[in-house]
Order: sequence, then C-alpha cells, then structure tokens
Amino acid sequence: MIRDEIRDFLLKIFQEEFEIENPGLDDDLRELYGFDSIDAIELLGEIETLLNSELTQDEKKSAMDIRTANQILDYIESLARAREG
Amino acid sequence: MERRVVITAASAITPIGHAEQEIVANLLQGVSGVKPLRQDDLLARHIHCGVFGTVDYEVPFHFERRYRKTMGPVSFYACQVAKEVLESAGLDRDFVTSGRLGIAFGSTHGSPTVQREIYKIFFSGSPGDFSSIGAVDYLKSMVHTTAVNIAKMFGITGRVISSCTACTTSSQSIGYGYEAIKFGMQDAMLCGGADEYDTTTVAVFDNLLACSNAYNETPRLTPRPFDADRDGLVVGEGAGAVLLEEFESARKRGANILAEIIGFSCNNNGGDLILPNTNGIIQTIKLGLDNAGILPGDVDVVSAHATATIMGDIIEAKAIHAVYGNGPRVTALKSYMGHTMSACGVIETVLTLYMLKEGFLAPTLNLDRVDERCAMIRHVRTLERVPLSIAAIQNFAFGGVNTSLILKRV
Repeated sequence: MIRDEIRDFLLKIFQEEFEIENPGLDDDLRELYGFDSIDAIELLGEIETLLNSELTQDEKKSAMDIRTANQILDYIESLARAREG
Repeated sequence: MERRVVITAASAITPIGHAEQEIVANLLQGVSGVKPLRQDDLLARHIHCGVFGTVDYEVPFHFERRYRKTMGPVSFYACQVAKEVLESAGLDRDFVTSGRLGIAFGSTHGSPTVQREIYKIFFSGSPGDFSSIGAVDYLKSMVHTTAVNIAKMFGITGRVISSCTACTTSSQSIGYGYEAIKFGMQDAMLCGGADEYDTTTVAVFDNLLACSNAYNETPRLTPRPFDADRDGLVVGEGAGAVLLEEFESARKRGANILAEIIGFSCNNNGGDLILPNTNGIIQTIKLGLDNAGILPGDVDVVSAHATATIMGDIIEAKAIHAVYGNGPRVTALKSYMGHTMSACGVIETVLTLYMLKEGFLAPTLNLDRVDERCAMIRHVRTLERVPLSIAAIQNFAFGGVNTSLILKRV
C-alpha cells in the first residue's frame, strides 16, 4: 500500500466521518479540529477495515500520542508493513 | 438560607407542537398529538397497542459534529430544548460557564435506540463483531447522557443531577433544581427531561395490560383520563426544559419571570412498585402544600398525572379529593399527547406556564362521560378563560415515586 493511497483514504475518512476538510498534513488535529480520543478510537476502527485486520491492544495504545495526519500516515504504513512481513 | 426561585425560560418538543404559539393553539383547539404507532424492526408488530404520542414534524437540529458524536436521539431532543431556554433567558456566557449554573436533566433509560444496536451486536453470535461496538455508544446511551451532553455543548460546569425515575424524572429534575437554588448551592439550574421514540416502553405497559388498545383506529380518542370508557395509557415522546433562577438576581438582570416555584415534594409509597397508592399521593400533595406554605384552597388548578389507566385515575381522584375537596379545577394534559414518560413532568409544567400566562385552562380531552368513581373532583371539561395564580403539578412513577410541584404566577 503506497503512501498516496493511504493519504487519499485518510482525507476521505476525515471529510466523510469527521467533517474535517483537507487538513494540513502537519496540523495539530486536536488543537485545530477538536479531534479527540473518541475520534481516535473511531479512526482505529476505520483503519482495521482498511487493513482488513484487527489491531492489537498494544498497536492501538501506540496511536494515542499521534497529533497530525502525517503521523497517522506513518502509523498506517508501519501497520501495513508489519502485516505484509 | 432560603431563597426564592423563579422560572425564566421554558421550551418543549411535544406531540402537539414545538413553538409556544403552536402548543397554545393546539391546547385551545383541543388538538391531539396521538397518532398510529410507527413500526420498528423489533416490537411494534407484536404490541396490542397501536397508538403513540408522536413528534411527527421536523425539529431543526443544527449541532456540530463535535457535539453530535456523543448524542443519541434522546440527547438531540434534550440539547435542543436546553439551547432554546438558554437563548430565551439571555444568560451571558460567563455566567453559564461560571459553575453557578447547574443541570438537572434525565431520561427513562438513556437512548434505547443506541442500546438496541449494541444488543444486536452482543447477540449476533460473532465474537469479531464485539469490536464494532462504537467507542461512543456508551456516551450516547448511558442514563445521564442528556445532562452531560447539555453540559458539554454549553460549557456548563455546575452540579449535575440526572434523575432516572421514569415518569417522575423531569418533575424531580425541576424539584431538585429548585432546592439547589433555594438553599444556595447554585444560582441557576437548567432542568428537564426527554424521551425518544421507543417501543420497549410500550411493550412493557402493554404486557402489564396498562396500554390503551381499543382506539387503535381512532388514535385521537385516546387516552381518556377520568372517562368511563378509558382503557389505558398511551406512550409518547418528547422533551422539555425550564431555566430556574434565584429571584433577586433574575429580577436585577431584568429576566422575564414566567412563574415562581413555591413548593416541591417527593416521597415514596413504601410498598407496591406498580400500583399507585392513595395514602402515598395524599402525603405528596400535603407535603407540597406545606413546603409552599399555602392551604389547599389557595390552589387554582391541579395538573393531574392522570395516565388514563383504570385504577390509577381512580386512586388519583380520591387523593385529590381527600386533600382539596372539589375546590381546584383539575385538568389532565396527557389527554393531548399521551404519556411522554421522563418528559411528562416538565412538559406539563411548560404547558401550565403557558396557561398561566394566557389565562386559560385546557380541558381534559376525551372526557365525554366522567367515571363515577372519579366524579368527586372538579374536572375541566370545556375551555375555561380564567385568571390563574397557583397551579399544582403532580406526577407519579413506577417504583412508587410521587412528586408535586407548585407554581405561582408572579
């Protein structure tokens, strides 16, 4: 899965599920868009659907410090790599 | 310290309308909000009762996603009426967030619509589905969901009371809000209750043989409080809110004072959890009058709980007569919309405020032939244009909980 595809997925989810339009990739999502821990849990569910794979509790916990879209892209890439490996 | 408490704003979403003018017009014209029970995918087709107090118009909710994401249908109702009373009262933002404004708001059991979706997953038989329970489903469905969603939306930081005593939920909310201000613990309280469309409640009453089912083809002819041909209650949906303020501060800021709350009582029958109890209700009424420091003869109108069950109406009529004789007029507002459960106390309070303001008394609908066992009290059977000063609003709930709220026009 290449980063551009993941970015398109993320921006679509942001728009459709979270009413966040084209955020800057390094914007602080919590500060600028009120993206909180509830949203993060919902997004993890969307990521599980994307990867067609359940995330472990440790994988989910490691996402809780994420603040920007770029960090989310890094996170999804690493999850995808782990599953390919 | 005992302080005077006044109501400075009111709003309700009811089966007979949302805007004050619409509700008043429907009370004046005797319009019923009881409609055919709408279908769901679970219970409706199994229920004998085919009627429901229905909110069948669009409510203009405009809530941002950051608020919507933790709200089930019941909280949409609750936040809308809360928004309207805060706007109407004109409280400034600093006061709203100061901690001096609290909330007393509840529902029967949170959001049954959301709970139903959770249980569908539980019973799906597929372990993998458990992870699909939404992160916010609890926040949407928990029993205090209305109160805390209101707090979040408006930044309210005062105390939170979330009664969940079924049919006395919102009358308790108002009563406990009144006491919180009266005794100096808060300067203002946003009080009320809400319940969404839910067939579970209809099924419960249906199974107890307490629901109306003889008027399924003519919904507006039921419920029929105190009527000889009544055959039970009609469940309904809706919400209401009132803003209570300490009198002096409300007066100083030039608030529009709708009425003063001069008394409140709440007790329990101490026994049966379903059947009302004459002595228990007599005590409720007396305690309310004592709390208000008035005599039975001072009350102009009683808004009866009057759900139109056979026994409930007889017991209530006996209790009213035992304390008041046939002095005050008695009206049964559920005849217009059925029993809105958690919302009934506050909706009946809001409607009473409208009647106090306009100087009329809406008659009990469908009271064509008074049951002789309920005939000892002074029923309102036709529209009456009378100046009103003091009104008592009584509500009773499963579990033997009773309340009486006493309002006085200022």
